[in-house]
Amino acid sequence: MVREKSLDAEVHKIINQRPIKTPVISITGGKGGVGKSTIAVNIAEALVQSGYRVALVDADVDGPDDHILLNIPLTDPLDVMISLPLIDDQKCTRCRQCVDTCRRHALFQPRDSSPILIGECNGCEACILVCPSDAIERGERTVGKTYKSEMENLMLFTGELIPGVEESSFVVNALKERVFNEAKDSDIIIIDTSPGAHCNVINALKGSNEAFAVTEPTPLGVHDLNLILKLLQILHIKATIILNRSDLPGVSGQIESVSKTYDANISVEIPMDDLLIKSYVEGVPVVRMYPEAESSKRISRLSKEIAAKYIK
Amino acid sequence: MKLCVTSTGNNLDAKVDFHFGRAPYFLIVNTDTMAFDVVKNTAQVTGMGAGVSAAQMILDKSAAAVLTGVIGPHAFHALKVAYVDIYEGLSGSDTVREAVERFKKGEYHEVTEPAGGPGRGRGSRGGW
Repeated sequence: MVREKSLDAEVHKIINQRPIKTPVISITGGKGGVGKSTIAVNIAEALVQSGYRVALVDADVDGPDDHILLNIPLTDPLDVMISLPLIDDQKCTRCRQCVDTCRRHALFQPRDSSPILIGECNGCEACILVCPSDAIERGERTVGKTYKSEMENLMLFTGELIPGVEESSFVVNALKERVFNEAKDSDIIIIDTSPGAHCNVINALKGSNEAFAVTEPTPLGVHDLNLILKLLQILHIKATIILNRSDLPGVSGQIESVSKTYDANISVEIPMDDLLIKSYVEGVPVVRMYPEAESSKRISRLSKEIAAKYIK
Repeated sequence: MKLCVTSTGNNLDAKVDFHFGRAPYFLIVNTDTMAFDVVKNTAQVTGMGAGVSAAQMILDKSAAAVLTGVIGPHAFHALKVAYVDIYEGLSGSDTVREAVERFKKGEYHEVTEPAGGPGRGRGSRGGW
């Protein structure tokens, strides 16, 4: 029995609001290795070729690689910091409210001193909020970086989590904040998410006009497509399917059935294509390197549809 | 001395619990008189940081030492800072009474290094 999850209208409002008017589309898909980044990069490149100013956002902060696919360096780094409590032993009255408030149980009150940070602080600042004697100062801890790289009409924003750190959502949020500040003049924002359907994917998807779920006709593809479409349904984000490697002798029928279940159209089928592989190896988007390739034609057609729908 | 033993139940004849932060009960046993206090582990059901939270509860009961199966690095650190001695290696088939008897015979050794990596408990590491 699957427990149906639904969110309050108020939550949906927050999830689906955007601080700027620029349209936002996301390239996602539950499964890893289905071609999300390749397709995101090629859609971005096709739109640039059509003359649009595009902000591509690599929100796969655990392993960002759009810059490798585009063969451009990561530049203009900014640290992503989260708060850390610094407790002033002189001001602290040992009231322990911070210890009792910390939901991570990261603070510990020894016998004879002010509380110390022992567990894993996630920077929520509740301790600072409850401290009645103003004894906790805001320290900082770096959890990752964001970058901005520019290449003609393409701006690539990249988020990068420090390996072994768990605050991937913080980096995604900081990345999006930077994008919304610095990419106001773009015609469109394209967000390339991590695989999966967890917090950092949710934060990457928030505010999207439409999310394209990339999948392939394999049992794994079907399974993970189900997950991501379920998530998009919960979030009330319009979902569309991109079927990659569509001519694999697989389970296209099952993909169609999932498509019907979630009322998510298959917008494009991209066949397996040697030229796409060649371009991938070279680190050049296929739509630039081999515009005549079948994959290029189909991605370019999808890009034109996206432009027609969202760019005024 | 006041010895805290991790327990599956609320009396001396209950079986010991191998876990520290996730043990259902802590029995704070006076090893001289066998009188004891029962502390229900309210941290048991929480997500992260059960070990540190449990260490806090034990410290508040003035236990001088903890006897358990195995203890995580955060709780280990917390107890060390609070000068609470740590003994590991409880056998799952013993009752609390039997464990205390063994303790008094010196069968357990104090540990001075945390046994292993983080995440021994069942708390989710992700989720944010």
